Amino acid sequence: MIVNSFNFLFFFIVVFLIYYIPWINKNGRRQNIWLLMASYFFYGVMDLKMLGLLAGVTVLYYYLGKLLKYEMERGNAREASIVKTSGIVVGVGILLYFKYLDFFISSAVELLNRIGLHVSWTAMHIIMPIGVSFFIFKLMSYLLEIHRERVQPADSLLDFSVYIAFFPTILSGPIDRPNKFLPQIQKPRRFNFDKAFDGLQQILWGMFTKMVVADNLDTITSAAWNFNTNSGVYMFLAALLTPIQLYADFDGYSNMAIGVAKILGLDIAKNFNHPLLARNVSDYWRRWHMSLTSWITDYVFTPLNIKFRNWGKVGLMLAITINLIVIGMWHGANWTYVLFGLYHSLLFIPLVLSDSFGKNKKLRAGRFGLPSGKDLFMMILTFLFVAFGQIIFFAPDITSIIDYLANFSWRIGSFMQGFEQIRQVALALLFSLTIIVIEWRTRDKEYAIQAKSRSYGDTLTRFMLLDLIIAIIIAKFGMSASQTFVYFNF
Amino acid sequence: MERNEVFTRLNNIFRDVLENEDIELTDSTIAEDIEEWDSLSHIQLVVAVEKSFGIKFTSLEIMKWKNVGEMVDSILAK
Repeated sequence: MIVNSFNFLFFFIVVFLIYYIPWINKNGRRQNIWLLMASYFFYGVMDLKMLGLLAGVTVLYYYLGKLLKYEMERGNAREASIVKTSGIVVGVGILLYFKYLDFFISSAVELLNRIGLHVSWTAMHIIMPIGVSFFIFKLMSYLLEIHRERVQPADSLLDFSVYIAFFPTILSGPIDRPNKFLPQIQKPRRFNFDKAFDGLQQILWGMFTKMVVADNLDTITSAAWNFNTNSGVYMFLAALLTPIQLYADFDGYSNMAIGVAKILGLDIAKNFNHPLLARNVSDYWRRWHMSLTSWITDYVFTPLNIKFRNWGKVGLMLAITINLIVIGMWHGANWTYVLFGLYHSLLFIPLVLSDSFGKNKKLRAGRFGLPSGKDLFMMILTFLFVAFGQIIFFAPDITSIIDYLANFSWRIGSFMQGFEQIRQVALALLFSLTIIVIEWRTRDKEYAIQAKSRSYGDTLTRFMLLDLIIAIIIAKFGMSASQTFVYFNF
Repeated sequence: MERNEVFTRLNNIFRDVLENEDIELTDSTIAEDIEEWDSLSHIQLVVAVEKSFGIKFTSLEIMKWKNVGEMVDSILAK
């Protein structure tokens, strides 16, 4: 049941109507019971077998949180640290089991075979529960935040379960933090027209970027890996379109999730801040998949950076490198993700050496409302580096990266091969250009078609007209709603 | 050491590391109040403070500080 489907629409209308019935709406607890039922139903439809795991780890972490607080209040620093660490071990252990065990064993077997010890082994094909990378990260951040005294344990198991299983975010994020989410569900949520309309607008915009931009680009980019039949030019074009496609796909999903939450009266974490406008890789990582990168910054990078604090720039580079490999590996078990992290950390070296890491001035328009020449140059350069990184990211294995690049350069000759569907190529280019211009023009907004004042009363007709136009474009150029989202695989 | 004394020394360290002569620290100063104070310069501040006072913080202490006042409390407790 994906968000831009009729099944979801039907499900959500039922959730919405009951959520705001006065008898339920009067009391935050009743709303939370309803949200939890809806969320477990939603997850159960997707992955019934893993519902038990979701419920089990939720209960476990709820009580670990209570125990952690109890030990902290009694001044038992060592015991508190043991409770926190055991929570992290369980979380990482679950991820290791479902996501990485096959990979580690097959890598070890391969190594043993290479050194002459012949071991036979068949992959276990462990089925990964949907959304496990996302909800395990939420569970771990709950314990870490309690330990850092930045959040109080949840009032009830009910509230905590809603935080973990909240249906708009359970499959693919954004990864919400307890500090922001829990306080919001402690009081009743009344229907607020402006907020709901804002949410609807955001969903519509998400549908546009997903169904029109991402899915049209996908027809070009996903064919790129059949490089035996494509020309070098085609593959070069596909490599350039990939960052736009991935962004439109995941930003589209995120906007829909955030919009759905807004209609339910809840503000959830932001995931993107116009990454296509980044002026260096450090800037890019602050704008890309922010709910994940800020999580890893807080719980991996910062502690490492503190630990290595006396080693100067070497310590900083080491913390950045580990940080980026963790981000890469979070996506799955493959050496390509490790290489992806290493590649990005190399790009940080000039920034760290020149002390310009983390220092970014606000983007301002120069003449004719365009970015300044230097900013534009840096944006294009960053984009090219990111695009190269995504060849590594999407490669099925390390040798495919080399094959891709070899085909890139050797096969420039057969120019038109792969371009049979010229209409599709033209559409992809048109939509890419459109989205880049829109990104620049709306760089100060949360999403492109958001009203400035967030009060829609007097501008309603104008928005209705804009919405109608977007809806027509979606109907005309949007790909079928059965397309899935890239990030469901992680 | 007196709390005031710690503040004066801390203020000098902050001005030095963040290269901003206008910094006036109070108990409630937080990172958002000072433009140059980001997650990276924060580490440089910690290193400078440890060196100047000849102390060593634990990682958890550093991550728990919510404002300058709490940092001063940590220094005084050493």
